Amino acid sequence: RDFRLGLITPQSHIWTQEAEGFAEALAEASDGEHSVSIFPAQQLGDEAQMVQQLQTGSLDMAFLTIAEISNRIPDFGALYAPFLVQDIDHAAALLRSETARSLLDMMPSRAGLVGVGFGMAGMRQILSREPIESAEDLSGLKVRITPFDPIRDFYAAAGAAPTPLPLPAVYDALANGQVDAIDMDFDSIRLLKFYEQAENLVISNHMMFPMVAAVSGRVWAQLGAEDREMIRAAMAEHADNIITRFKENHAAWGEELRSQDITVTEIDPEFFAEATEKWEATWAPKAPSLDALRATVAELAD
Amino acid sequence: MTLVVFAVLLLGAVPIALVLALTAAWYIAESGNILLFASYPQQLYGAIENYGLLAIPLFMLAGELMNEGGLTRRLIDLARILVGGFRGGLVYINLVANMMMAAIVGSAASQIAIMSRAMVPAMEKDGYDKPFAAAITAAGGLLSPIIPPSMLFVLYGVMAQVPISDMFISGIIPGLLMGSLFFLAIAVVGLVQQYPEGQWPTRKQAKRFLLMGLPAMSIPVIIIGGILAGLATPTESAALASLAALLIGRYVYHDLSLAQLPEILKRTAFNAGLVIMLIAAAGVFGWVIVYEELPQMAATWIAGLTESPFVFLMLVVGVLLLVGMIIDGIAALILVVPILLPIAQNQFDITPYQFGVVVCLTLVLGLLTPPVGAGLFIGSSMTGVPPMRIFRALWPFLLMSLLALILLAWQPWLTLALVG
Amino acid sequence: MLKRLSSGIARCEGAIAAGLAALVSLLILLNIATRSLGHALYWTDELAIHAMIWMTFFTTSAVLKRRDGVAVTLLMDALPSSIHQGMRVFVDTMVLVFALFLAVLCWRWYDPATLWATGFDIQAFQGKTFNFIYSETSRTLGIPKFWIWLCLPIFAASLSLHATVNLVDCLKGLVSAERRSA
Ligand code: NA
Ligand code: NA
Repeated sequence: RDFRLGLITPQSHIWTQEAEGFAEALAEASDGEHSVSIFPAQQLGDEAQMVQQLQTGSLDMAFLTIAEISNRIPDFGALYAPFLVQDIDHAAALLRSETARSLLDMMPSRAGLVGVGFGMAGMRQILSREPIESAEDLSGLKVRITPFDPIRDFYAAAGAAPTPLPLPAVYDALANGQVDAIDMDFDSIRLLKFYEQAENLVISNHMMFPMVAAVSGRVWAQLGAEDREMIRAAMAEHADNIITRFKENHAAWGEELRSQDITVTEIDPEFFAEATEKWEATWAPKAPSLDALRATVAELAD
Repeated sequence: MTLVVFAVLLLGAVPIALVLALTAAWYIAESGNILLFASYPQQLYGAIENYGLLAIPLFMLAGELMNEGGLTRRLIDLARILVGGFRGGLVYINLVANMMMAAIVGSAASQIAIMSRAMVPAMEKDGYDKPFAAAITAAGGLLSPIIPPSMLFVLYGVMAQVPISDMFISGIIPGLLMGSLFFLAIAVVGLVQQYPEGQWPTRKQAKRFLLMGLPAMSIPVIIIGGILAGLATPTESAALASLAALLIGRYVYHDLSLAQLPEILKRTAFNAGLVIMLIAAAGVFGWVIVYEELPQMAATWIAGLTESPFVFLMLVVGVLLLVGMIIDGIAALILVVPILLPIAQNQFDITPYQFGVVVCLTLVLGLLTPPVGAGLFIGSSMTGVPPMRIFRALWPFLLMSLLALILLAWQPWLTLALVG
Repeated sequence: MLKRLSSGIARCEGAIAAGLAALVSLLILLNIATRSLGHALYWTDELAIHAMIWMTFFTTSAVLKRRDGVAVTLLMDALPSSIHQGMRVFVDTMVLVFALFLAVLCWRWYDPATLWATGFDIQAFQGKTFNFIYSETSRTLGIPKFWIWLCLPIFAASLSLHATVNLVDCLKGLVSAERRSA
């Protein structure tokens, strides 16, 4: 059958490329019996709308940010714990761990989706119009975020005013001072040239930004065991390729940004110690998986 | 079959929003993908869950408040100082006032309504042919969606994911270009028709007009200045303009009483609701056809026809002029942008700004072409002149608009020079 | 009786819509004010958007009740007036069809029957129906989205009433016109 896969990223983005890779792999593995049509750039609606279409079974598959899942299953918020991981390699290892994978088991009953595997969109950094040298400098600043609770609570705890804005509006908002800073990953800062409007980059790696390759629970139920395995294998592989590609490019993208005419500040977890503590207080009860993830993080660090 | 259903509903005088919503439903049933029905209501809601659309009610409110607060009248007086004394003074006043209004009002339909009420009786009294008066006023309304702010640009910006403020900026030169071409048309027609004498205001009058007009001029300054200087989003600048219009109309001109507010808000709600509902229905319609990959197929076909960006744009203009004859501009915009913009960008390297200006202007022309022309109907109902008689007096302006379109399709810098 | 109810509802819809238009403007102004004071509010934009959408559905219902929707009257204008009444019946029927169609979809979406049967246990409801409408919350307001979407079933119900009243009216007109010509 012909499956439909939706995602929010534009045609040229790594996610879309790997989605296309998955489509080819599945067609090949099934000897042309299955095919996948890709709908990039929010053609079928934003992530909330895609999730609803996955739930009804009108959409078959999607690459979704975990933000969208954590809005429905708060336990996924644990993946957004500030400074949970040290760097991108650490993040990749965590997302590939059994502990992270076991989170996916919650998805069918609580969101009607089958989580096949993790991908990612790098680590979060802060890009600001004015220099940020201490945590106090962030106080009262309007910081653009993707709207989901864990990140909102982080910036609120840091004393900033988190301001949700869709990605296409960000460049403009930075230019006209609608926001003072943005929460963003290297790849997007680089591709969308946000550094032209805000010349201070804080390399904080304060959060990882995982993605999940998901299949509609309803569609999954209609598939035979063999098809399920075929899809799971191909999809998980290409989702994992995304992790690899972000990991491999991380340093080069960082260098590319450093070579721009901008001020770069590198900070360690100490910088946001207070905000991180506040965040923990809010989220530890809401996201019980946090302890297990921390344990795994410690093991992986050794 | 879907096409037949669409045609029957459309020609059967079913409201256009329902034509789109029902056709989408029919198409789902026919394609057999009935699971889509489960997402249908949410999609209807989600299609308009968009920050950019807030600009629509706010610009409409600003327009209503300008009118009721006497700001429109002061702007027309201001135009008298500039061009009132030329032969055919009122014709020039009409155009200048329309250009000023275009810097405030976001839609051709509302501007034609406002200006027809204000200008046509005055021109008739001065001895102008009424269909001509109605036609020049309607033509002036065409400037409204090109000179910022513009509702069409807001919608386009939302769909094309380009900053709305940049879209507004890219409309400035095309708007001025169209205004100049219209001046040319008027001057030529004036030579042939011998317009009535104009009259310069006396020095005393001029002083009063200028003094009284300045507060009204603050509105376009707030709107365009706020956006250009990057102080506010278009939505916010519309809200500020509404507030300013309210205060000026109430406390400077004393033309507006607060008791009028409920009625003004109600009119705003109804007019904005009509447009937004159309967007919701077109959104569902577009979603259904994307599911069936129709746009992708159409794209492949069109992309095979030519390699020149100019020819491609003129093809688009040709198709849209036909589409614009029978479908309302906003509905048409929502249907065609998702299909044609990716081709324009990927295959022909056309910037979204140039594409947006050309497409929007083409669709605006559709407002003044029969058989379905909202602008003609509004102008007609405001003046009592039959729509076809207005249309017949319109041809010099339509010709000039077409010339502007060709220039804009040919020279990308006309749209890009200010965007940077 | 139904006719009076329909007119009453339409008046309320107009008034509520006007109130919502005011709310939208005030929220945006509030947003500008708080932002320039350095205390940006998280939720004003989203609330303004929902207010605008509710306004849209309320006005659409009232507009369709008054038969004021934007339509292509090209064919109607060209045809002799004896056919007009028949075409009006067609339009009213299509409005009713749309209203009932949407009402059915909303019923299936909110699925109150199953919700009742599962004793309002959301988990059980989701397990049984694979329908997650009751567990979705809005992005910044934090309230469940089924409250926000409630304007759709309200719209469908009120439009069904308006359309029925209009259609009955129209049919009556058709019958009496035929009697006169006979
Ligand atoms: Na305008
Ligand atoms: Na037309």
